[in-house]
Amino acid sequence: MLTSQLTWLVLTLAGGVLFAAFAPLLRRRAERLAAPLLALLPLAVFVQLLAALPAVQMGETAQARFDWVPALGLSLTFTLDGLGLAMGLLIAGIGALVILYGGAYLHGHPSLGRFYAVVLLFMTAMLGIALSGNALLLFVFWELTSITSFLLIGFEHERPGARAAAWQALLVTGGGGLALMAGFALLAVITGSFEMNVWAARAAEIAVHPLAPAAFLLILGGAATKSAQFPFHFWLPNAMEAPTPVSAYLHSATMVKAGVFLLARLFPVLGGLPLWTPALTTLGLLTLVGASLLALAQTDLKRLLAYTTVSALGMLVFLLGLGTPLALKTAALFLVTHALYKGALFLSAGSVDHGTGTRDIARLGGIGRAMPFTAAAAGLAALSMAGLPPLLGFIAKELVYETTLEAAAPLLLTGLTLVANAATVVVAVWVGWRPFWGRPGDDHLHPHEGTPGLWGPPLLLALLGLALGLFPALTGDGLIAPMTAAIVGQSVKVKLALWHGLTPMLGLSALTLLLGVGLAALRRVVQPRIAAFWRALAPLGPANLYHRFVHGLLSLASWQTAVLQNGYLRVYALVIVLTTAALAGLTIVLKDVTLTLSPWQPPRFYDFILVGVILTAAFLVTRSRSRVATIALLGSIGFSIAVIFLLYSAPDLAMVQFAIETLTVILFVLVLYKLPKFSRLSSTPTRIADVFFALTGGLLMTLIMLLVSRHASDASAAAYYAANSLSQANGRNIVNVILVDFRGLDTLGEITVLAIAAIGVFSLIRLGGKPGRKQRAVPKGGRTK
Amino acid sequence: MTPSDLLSILPLLVLVVWACALLLVDLWLKRKGVTAFLAALGLALTAGLALAQAGEETTAFGGMVALDGFASFLNVLFPLSGLLGIAVAYGYLKRMNIERGEYYSLLLFSTAGMMLMAHAADLVVVFLALEFLSLPLYVLAAFARPRLDSEEAGLKYFLLGAFASAFVIYGIALIYGATGTTSLSGIVAAIEAGSLGTSGLLLTIGAALFLVGFGFKVAAVPFHMWTPDVYHGAPTPVTAFMAVGAKAAGFAALLRVFVTAFPALDADLTPVVWVLAALTMFVGNVVAIAQTNIKRMLAYSSIAHAGYILMAFVAFGNPATRADAVASALFYLVTYALTSYGAWAAVIALEKQDPSAGSGQAASGLEINDFAGLGRRRPALAAAMTVFMLSLTGMPPTLGLVGKFYLFRTVIEAGQVWLAVIGVLTSLISAYYYLRVVVVMYMREGAPETTREPWLDFTWAVSALATVILSFLPMALFAWASAAGVMGF
Repeated sequence: MLTSQLTWLVLTLAGGVLFAAFAPLLRRRAERLAAPLLALLPLAVFVQLLAALPAVQMGETAQARFDWVPALGLSLTFTLDGLGLAMGLLIAGIGALVILYGGAYLHGHPSLGRFYAVVLLFMTAMLGIALSGNALLLFVFWELTSITSFLLIGFEHERPGARAAAWQALLVTGGGGLALMAGFALLAVITGSFEMNVWAARAAEIAVHPLAPAAFLLILGGAATKSAQFPFHFWLPNAMEAPTPVSAYLHSATMVKAGVFLLARLFPVLGGLPLWTPALTTLGLLTLVGASLLALAQTDLKRLLAYTTVSALGMLVFLLGLGTPLALKTAALFLVTHALYKGALFLSAGSVDHGTGTRDIARLGGIGRAMPFTAAAAGLAALSMAGLPPLLGFIAKELVYETTLEAAAPLLLTGLTLVANAATVVVAVWVGWRPFWGRPGDDHLHPHEGTPGLWGPPLLLALLGLALGLFPALTGDGLIAPMTAAIVGQSVKVKLALWHGLTPMLGLSALTLLLGVGLAALRRVVQPRIAAFWRALAPLGPANLYHRFVHGLLSLASWQTAVLQNGYLRVYALVIVLTTAALAGLTIVLKDVTLTLSPWQPPRFYDFILVGVILTAAFLVTRSRSRVATIALLGSIGFSIAVIFLLYSAPDLAMVQFAIETLTVILFVLVLYKLPKFSRLSSTPTRIADVFFALTGGLLMTLIMLLVSRHASDASAAAYYAANSLSQANGRNIVNVILVDFRGLDTLGEITVLAIAAIGVFSLIRLGGKPGRKQRAVPKGGRTK
Repeated sequence: MTPSDLLSILPLLVLVVWACALLLVDLWLKRKGVTAFLAALGLALTAGLALAQAGEETTAFGGMVALDGFASFLNVLFPLSGLLGIAVAYGYLKRMNIERGEYYSLLLFSTAGMMLMAHAADLVVVFLALEFLSLPLYVLAAFARPRLDSEEAGLKYFLLGAFASAFVIYGIALIYGATGTTSLSGIVAAIEAGSLGTSGLLLTIGAALFLVGFGFKVAAVPFHMWTPDVYHGAPTPVTAFMAVGAKAAGFAALLRVFVTAFPALDADLTPVVWVLAALTMFVGNVVAIAQTNIKRMLAYSSIAHAGYILMAFVAFGNPATRADAVASALFYLVTYALTSYGAWAAVIALEKQDPSAGSGQAASGLEINDFAGLGRRRPALAAAMTVFMLSLTGMPPTLGLVGKFYLFRTVIEAGQVWLAVIGVLTSLISAYYYLRVVVVMYMREGAPETTREPWLDFTWAVSALATVILSFLPMALFAWASAAGVMGF
């Protein structure tokens, strides 16, 4: 039953992608109807998920599997359990609201159709993450969300800021995705499968495997970049360049939760690693505290919300890191709570921006009367964010304190959490109360309430936070329990309540509120100091490191292009020679071969003469300033070698060598006329360096020669010819028989080739080359930015 | 030489005869379109014959030539890449005023050389095939003469190519010296007999020199330096053909020789290949970032991809992963061929005829920024280019992801986890420059002038569709590559 529901869900999603492709067309045809029509898709998914909820509450899970490349372990496995279902409800529900909201917010925008299409595509990908049972499938969806996020951040691509932010977000999250893939691959090496339930089943085996820490760290890298954990958090505030509905949907409610979701998903697999708790709690706490303090320095509504989103994500990672059933339950609840109130706040911020034209809290004030619905939505959501009863946020905060008090170092953890929560309260006041009530702000704002599309969705989300808070038992049993069960891997009891009596948690909540509201009232005093503090720290910040890294990479690339890739053939050849010398030379050295000279005949006097001629000629070639002389000298080297062949009883080789040398010299002389004046192009230091390079190459060849000469050569060919030349070819002169008989076809071929080459070169010289062509004077360097 | 010998290399023979005939027939053909059509027909025929040979396993010419799954896989790939080489060239040659019939014959000859390489079971044949495929390419690189940068490309390619060939032949000589044979099976037998003794070192050095020579051909760092200059200077269709065909042929030789003859040298060669692969991936990807010219960017990208395929080689000594090494390399070659041809076709669509043609000015000055506004002007072409860029990065939903995944998996299975990590990290770097093209196409304003030519449009459209569709249904290709991974010889 559940499985067929899941199959239908997947089919709906596949249809959704096709549907998304027609969004721009639909928008052009029916501007007014487009948003409601398109919102039907997320709505359908939402309803389907709701229909599946009862079965999941009973503890059922479903799997649907489509084979892709079974041989590679690639299959499209979808799983539906409590965690995926809750995530899916958020994604689909908020998705429907964001489509409606976007239609109002971007009303009349020329690229609204593109917005619809990409948001729907994103939603499909995000639901894919929530429902994937196969790690590779998850990776594919993961990268798709990065790409769609890139497109949405850069939605208003006329602004350079938007382009840069889109780019940065893509590099950070897309890159993290690749690390994730590497981690998955390692897990697959350990278990031989990419199915996540297989991993979970073999968790004990994974925990002791030596590759497991590497896999964990790589996966953590992927999750941390996606969920904007320190030190990768900087992309998220910059991503606020996106239109507000996008910020609400991707960069607060859903996509940035993907990292947290993945960690929760893999808790049964990796939770047993000794590294899990220290790594995650440290990472989470750093992010939690750092980001909430960073938030206090912001004056832009969206950036305020962005930094608190980062801190909430830190909280989630921290809770998952603790890994106790209570902590996991808290994490599950907090995830849902945060998505609801933060989505509402972002959407109201967009509505404020739309109604007044600014998001600066220093300029905003007293607009609540003109925008009552927006104010109500923002206020309600802010109350949840601040953690006031009877909202869901209150229950979540109580649970957080309960968790930290129960943890290993209660004082430290509770203290840090308190600081972060107080900062969150401050921000809640600044975004939920400050713009709407109290002292009027700028006179030129002319606030006005927008269409229902602008205030309806945030109000709905905020009310949902209230409703869920009012019925804590229902929320706990219906949603949080299945979620927690899916994380832990077994069913758990979740009892949520608004009132627990006079507990330490209640006291801490009150203290948090007191601190937060007090600080919030002192904004004009507090904020500049905090801002100054962070400004002083900025050069050390990861954002700066990121820029330096990108810049460094660019400089390195430019340097390589300018210095090594300079267009000079000699440099290219030089690199090849040196590499070869290093490769072969190292082999010889590493093999520790003792090079001994094999016994040889005492040299005869003409050996000395020939070697003398060769050496002298070789030296003179390098000194010569005339082409003819160079060719003559090279020729004399060749002929001397031919004579050596002759003397050491290799007449056939000598013949070939003679022929080739002669032909080469003739060809050289023929082309000589066409060549430009012989000039020395290299400077003296270059030439001296070249001497060493040449000697290196020569040394290598000598070494190889010594090696070869040590090896007694196989005389099989000679014996074969000696035995067969008379019997088979009736010839006594073996060389002649070889040339004209055994290798007659070769000889014919060689002659033909030489003749054709000679004709070709001759005709080229006669026909080719138009007069007056200029030599290229400028080398190809500097083809860089 | 028996009829069955000839039969086993029938596709190759047909292609060579066809190319020779075409060279003559072309003399009487006024319309070069007919030449192009005839050349394409010959390639299609060859591909068909090669396809008909699939599944056969035999050796011929006294064991110098092998026909097996590996050969028949590549023998289909090469003519098809030749076909695309004609499709992208047909309009371009006309537009650039370099429409000469020799282009098609030379392309056919070079393809024949590549096919011979796939068959080679003897080092002498390997060398023969290397020269056979390279010589026409040298000429093709300089085909846009008298444009200076094309001539420069041809000359550079020729000189360095000859230089690299010298390494190959010297390596072969040393291998022969060590084992007394040039036949791959003979080398294996000699190694297994264990009688090499000290000349084992000679064999290793020979193999190293062989690697240097072919490292040049496949553009592995540090033998890559010709690539940007040559790819940039050569007429773009030639570049596309070279980037796909010559690279694939180089890898065919390396795979065949290393996997069949050198597994015993595993301990010595694997570290070398490891370093080469890592260097190639790193340098190719990092330097590509700095490029503003699209042809040079794609040239560095092709270097980087050589690095990815080289990764497969570290698994060559391990009997458990050897077949996977070959199969994943072949699979990736197909992936790269499709994607790369598509990307080059998009470049060709944007390349304008140089107003100063003939005056010796560089004509291929197409910058990445010239793609600005393509998303609005030619949505389909821009979408296709996006697919290619995603595929080169290795992102879904493209074949590049499947190919890279298969490669990485093989490497990890061979126990080289760190190399895989380097591969992943450099892929990440590559996202920077590939996606920049996408950004420019969609997010910058501009009005690029593009060419609409049916065959060119056909090339990029088919490549893009295949890249996406095959990523969802890669099973057939995968099965075929796996079958080719088990070398019959």
